[in-house]
Amino acid sequence: MIAAMNFRSMLRHSFAVAALLVLAASAAAQCRSFAKNKCVPELAPFKFNETFNAAQLAPGEEAEVNLTFFSGQEYRVLVCAHPILGNVNWKLVDAHNKTVFESLADDPKSHFDLKAASTTQMKVVVWVPEKGSSDMVHVGCVGILLGFKEN
Amino acid sequence: MIVKRMNRWPVLLALMPLFAACGGGAEQETLTVDDQSTATQEERMRKTKKIFYNIPSPMETAGLLKDAGADYDGKILNDVKNVDRYTSASKQALNLGVYGADLSYASVFNHTQESMFYTSCSKKLADKLGVSHAFNDSTIEVMQKNQNDREALLDVISETYWSVDAYLKENDRENISALMVTGGWVEGLYIATQVAAVKATPELRQRIAEQKLSLNHLSGLLNSYTTPDPALDAARADVEKLTAVFADVELPMGDGGTTEENGVTVVGGTAPAATLTDAQLAAIRETVTAIRNNYIN
Repeated sequence: MIAAMNFRSMLRHSFAVAALLVLAASAAAQCRSFAKNKCVPELAPFKFNETFNAAQLAPGEEAEVNLTFFSGQEYRVLVCAHPILGNVNWKLVDAHNKTVFESLADDPKSHFDLKAASTTQMKVVVWVPEKGSSDMVHVGCVGILLGFKEN
Repeated sequence: MIVKRMNRWPVLLALMPLFAACGGGAEQETLTVDDQSTATQEERMRKTKKIFYNIPSPMETAGLLKDAGADYDGKILNDVKNVDRYTSASKQALNLGVYGADLSYASVFNHTQESMFYTSCSKKLADKLGVSHAFNDSTIEVMQKNQNDREALLDVISETYWSVDAYLKENDRENISALMVTGGWVEGLYIATQVAAVKATPELRQRIAEQKLSLNHLSGLLNSYTTPDPALDAARADVEKLTAVFADVELPMGDGGTTEENGVTVVGGTAPAATLTDAQLAAIRETVTAIRNNYIN
């Protein structure tokens, strides 16, 4: 009797885990597919620098990407978020911790184009605004991509 | 995604249909899951900041070399015959990066025949690593079809590289992705220093010196993994060796101001170009060559 209950419990457990795994795998694949279909085309005419920085974020969460910009090169920094998250906030911060560019959710901009006068490191910080009180936590893909221009 | 370890059997049962659906091949030894939604949320709250390190891709590095006046030298690249020697996953990942860098170098300098050879090597290693989903036969077909169209070829290579990287990251094989990135970056630096051994233009010295910044990011990337992994430990040790030889390389920093030039924001401010002495260049070349030879042999 106890063995049967344990088996049933294990089976239920397995299905729950299987469902979660399928959902996680599906969400992950959707993030890649979202980045490929929605984000990468927005880099044009810049060439994607081929580094896939994307994360599943929820409201209140933050992501940061550290980037190197080489002198004389032109770049496009692009942030694209899945519509389920709504608009996200993001900023580009230089090595002196000074904000070079900022896009807030109420006046969103998907990208920022720049030319590096000298080689420098900067970081992109993205944070998803909280949306009031709700038991539902929406998790969505946020891609932070860098494009460069071939000289 | 950070998830907790629990009873293995349900996890294995759950993984089976996924392997079947994807055509199998991919080992996901570290993939575990927590079915407690509250625990997952707590974990999520604890790890609210995700940090990424963007290492210049092989294509970007090859482009910088070309702009810096570098020449093409196919003899310095990893021999295509070596591909069958890589039997461990870590060697396969490192050399997928190495061949990826060689492929980018050959393609950017418009050496189509070599590009096709390196594509074939990369495909072999991608198959062995179970990344065929992101790098399949149709990729090769598209490349063959576009082998006389440099731009189209570069686009396919670029998309393939990032698809492989994304596939690895999304399938909890970030350690393999990190090794691939390390192999690619090391090969890029190796190529640059070898080319500079023949023609060390100021621009080339500058681009090599600036790799100190990318090295910091590579170090950050490798140190972001806390799971014990001997291959990552070895890569970290290699990065430390390179960090030591780059230590006295000075990188003048701009004042951080922004200006406007033809409607484009110019950032970084003015700063003298970084450079390398002959001794620094020789030390970097010697160290990176030893590391790279260890990867390819």
